[in-house]
Amino acid sequence: MKLTEIPVDGIPYDHLRIEKIPVTPAFAPRDPELLPASSRVLVVNPDRICMPIGAMWAVLGIHRAIPFVQGAQGCTTYARYTFSRIFKEPATIATASFHEDAAVFGGRMNLVEGLRNLVVRYWPEVIGVVTTCSSEIMGDDMTSFIGEARMKLQAEIGPERTEQIAIVPINTPSFAGSHVEGYDRAAKAFVQSLATDRDAPTNRVNIIPGLFYPGDIREIKHILQEMGIESTVLFDISDTLDAPLEPPQSIPYYPPGGTHVAEIKGMANAAATFALQLDAGGSGARYLERKFGVPAVVGPVPVGVVATDTLLQNLGKATGCATSPALRAERGRLVDAMADTFHHTMMKRVAVFGDPDYVSGITRFVCELGMTPVAVSAGTESKNFAAAVETVFSEYQSLFLDPPKVFNGSDLFEFEEYLKTLPRLDLIIGNSKGVDIARELEVPIVRAGFPIYDRFGYQKRPIVGYRGAELFLYEIANAVLDHRYPDDRTQQL
Amino acid sequence: MPFVDLKCNEKIPERGKHIYVHDPENSVIPACNVKTIPGDMTERGCAFAGARGVIGGPIADIIAMVHAPVGCAWFTWGTRRHLSDLYPWATPTRLANSAFNRRYCAVTDMQEKDVVFGGMKKLKQSCVEAFRLFPEARGMIIFTTCTTGLIGDDVQGVARQVEKEVGKLVFTAESPGCSGVSQSKGHHDFNTQFYRQVKALRQRRPELKMREEDKTDYDICLIGDYNMDWDLQVIKPLFEKIGVRIVAVFSGNERIENLVKMIDVRLNVVHCQRSAEYIAHMIQDGFNTPFTRVSLYGIEQTAEALRKTAAHFGLEERAEKVIAGEIARVEKAMAFYREKLAGKRIAIYVGGPRVWHWIRLMEELGMEVIAGACTFAHEDDYEKINARSKPGVLVIDSPNEFELEEMLITLKPDLFLAGLKEKYLGRKMGIPTVNSHSYEKGPYAGFAGMVNFARDIYQGIYAPVWRFQDGIPEMPQREGED
Repeated sequence: MKLTEIPVDGIPYDHLRIEKIPVTPAFAPRDPELLPASSRVLVVNPDRICMPIGAMWAVLGIHRAIPFVQGAQGCTTYARYTFSRIFKEPATIATASFHEDAAVFGGRMNLVEGLRNLVVRYWPEVIGVVTTCSSEIMGDDMTSFIGEARMKLQAEIGPERTEQIAIVPINTPSFAGSHVEGYDRAAKAFVQSLATDRDAPTNRVNIIPGLFYPGDIREIKHILQEMGIESTVLFDISDTLDAPLEPPQSIPYYPPGGTHVAEIKGMANAAATFALQLDAGGSGARYLERKFGVPAVVGPVPVGVVATDTLLQNLGKATGCATSPALRAERGRLVDAMADTFHHTMMKRVAVFGDPDYVSGITRFVCELGMTPVAVSAGTESKNFAAAVETVFSEYQSLFLDPPKVFNGSDLFEFEEYLKTLPRLDLIIGNSKGVDIARELEVPIVRAGFPIYDRFGYQKRPIVGYRGAELFLYEIANAVLDHRYPDDRTQQL
Repeated sequence: MPFVDLKCNEKIPERGKHIYVHDPENSVIPACNVKTIPGDMTERGCAFAGARGVIGGPIADIIAMVHAPVGCAWFTWGTRRHLSDLYPWATPTRLANSAFNRRYCAVTDMQEKDVVFGGMKKLKQSCVEAFRLFPEARGMIIFTTCTTGLIGDDVQGVARQVEKEVGKLVFTAESPGCSGVSQSKGHHDFNTQFYRQVKALRQRRPELKMREEDKTDYDICLIGDYNMDWDLQVIKPLFEKIGVRIVAVFSGNERIENLVKMIDVRLNVVHCQRSAEYIAHMIQDGFNTPFTRVSLYGIEQTAEALRKTAAHFGLEERAEKVIAGEIARVEKAMAFYREKLAGKRIAIYVGGPRVWHWIRLMEELGMEVIAGACTFAHEDDYEKINARSKPGVLVIDSPNEFELEEMLITLKPDLFLAGLKEKYLGRKMGIPTVNSHSYEKGPYAGFAGMVNFARDIYQGIYAPVWRFQDGIPEMPQREGED
């Protein structure tokens, strides 16, 4: 740093530029034998997180609910940290604080004391008890522990107040699945625990959005409102993880919004349940169908024209409601935008990665745009994903230049090494973990999916519905223009 | 008594002994480094975070092998901003976008059957595969977690086998998340285990020690700096200019082979005195190498650190010259910020040592620290906090979220220096925050970094956004439906 004087506005980043030192004198290709994830046991750059964080995500979408994580402090702190990175919001999550003694004697005391301490200070309406690797390995008997905790609470705060607190256990050992399954298990656990009676059927619908962002949930609510459909969104993070700054704040901090317990209780009375993501929430919808005959509509992921059309048709069938002029105009604007942009999207080679439902939804949409998906990768292995992309590819194969490569349950290392072998790639669509790959391949990245933490605002911009697809399309088209086109050729688009 | 009971703790009176108002006449040390009360909404992390995230993560040229289900590895992949200059190749002509220690995340991905039958075979194969895939790695550290700690995998045995087979350095850091009261346990574990393994390695392979002819009389090791946001880029030149040579940094942007040589220096300079003073003590006890404690934040403290180090080597004159030059470089900027920040009231909540590192720094800017809270501090940290605090400062050990909220609402500081999780909480209460763990836009250390720090504090307090937080002025409000 050769500055003789440090400027008032700090050391400029160009004076902090680091001379990169190569770790080896020259490039050497990676051992080809070990590139396929299936040929090694080691996982490098996983595109999935642990099961508990998916369940915590879900609980954070409930009104005055607090996840209680039955594990070590890191299981909570890392998840809170991740939520804060993504949403730029506080995320209140309690921990059982496992220390050595819990590892030896089990987590009974931690749960019983922990729930008590949480309740008498925070008075939550709902507690989602999320288990972890350690509590599952030790074999913590959550049902009996929670029973004991309830008895302790009854003695201290009385049976009535204890009764008012819903405590829902969710078993989420990370060694048995990813965050996607964690969310899925939470969806099932909540309807199973709370939606116990079909006593007064209504024309409401249940929406289980899956790991979609606040912006997406708002878009879905907008569609429902336009169609005149009343709904319960389980788990509604649209306000809880996108709260306004308007002090004074009462303490303890509870974000506004979230799904109310009464609404969840009414879910068995609904006309249908729509799980927008198949792997994240489908189990909740299917449970309500099995148990109470509430029809389950699981997928398709409503990204793009056809999948949104299908959602509207299915909503119409379930409720008898019709589309509105506003929705038809939104669809028309999306189609108009597609007509305006296809010269710049068609035949562009795109790679898509992320959670299985994000990838299958986005893959369909890019095909609708006439793009050529060259590689799609689901970080969490999924049969639904395999079936969904196969269907899309068979519908659109006449437009493809090359057959797309499908990775199901692979890691990002295999994905990036595959992309590096391609003669050409125009765009990558995926979460923040793909930024390095995009920079190295000198290909633009459009951020979508979970998690996005390295930029602002993505949690608020929808990709679902007609309006979401239109916004998403502009990002895709502009990324191509920004990257590939000389500016003097974009004067007349 | 200086101890205070916050309103939010009415139902858990045990918390009372963790919280006090500093009174120099009646100085107390709170209960600290003890178990967290379950369900109290702690901000603490786990022992694994201390070992993998804080100390192991910054080492530049090793594979950090996390022996766990994917989550623990994913969470520690490129999150903490411990940067490095050592880059793998992305293509034959281009280096990667992120440094080696942050570009790849290696994990054994423990599955249910591995938990049942044990994960050692899988670990061994993963290690061998990792060395095949990343031949550029100079070594490996295997980190255990709750899962692999509880099932009792013999990780050291695997490490020895892999080292024998592959011929590269393989260390272990066994610090499962549930093994201690906070991340501090992970720091301690890493220090102890690493020191022991380095010592054994030097006996086993003496050629890894620094050769006599390579040693100088001015060799130091900087212990407890993790190169947050390139702090080392401002710190290292200062030491070089006064005429000492930094042989190794424990562990920011450091090469594993240099860390094996950290025992060969003349003086250890300890910056973070919570997470890494252990190893300085062990080196002193084992090899008679002295250490000195320094703070590399703020103008006065950085100057003092250089003076202390220089005094050890008889380099005082050179140090004075360097200090004078550095102060001149930042004087104009500092004058601007001193004027803007005078009289502002600050609350600090960080891991531990930064609370006392920063009290004087805030005073240099004319500000006053009115509250300090530490996630994992020990008795000696609180002694230092007490020594530096004005009477009336509220001190909280291992605060939970509710206590921080009560502190913010009752004290209404002008700025809250906190971690990522708490910074968004502060903002919801209309209180400006600065990320004090990975920084907003660092480096913050040393003389030049102080300007960045002051700038981010200034931006926090003076951002126009705070003028708009009270809603639409003079406008009737309709109640909402919700």
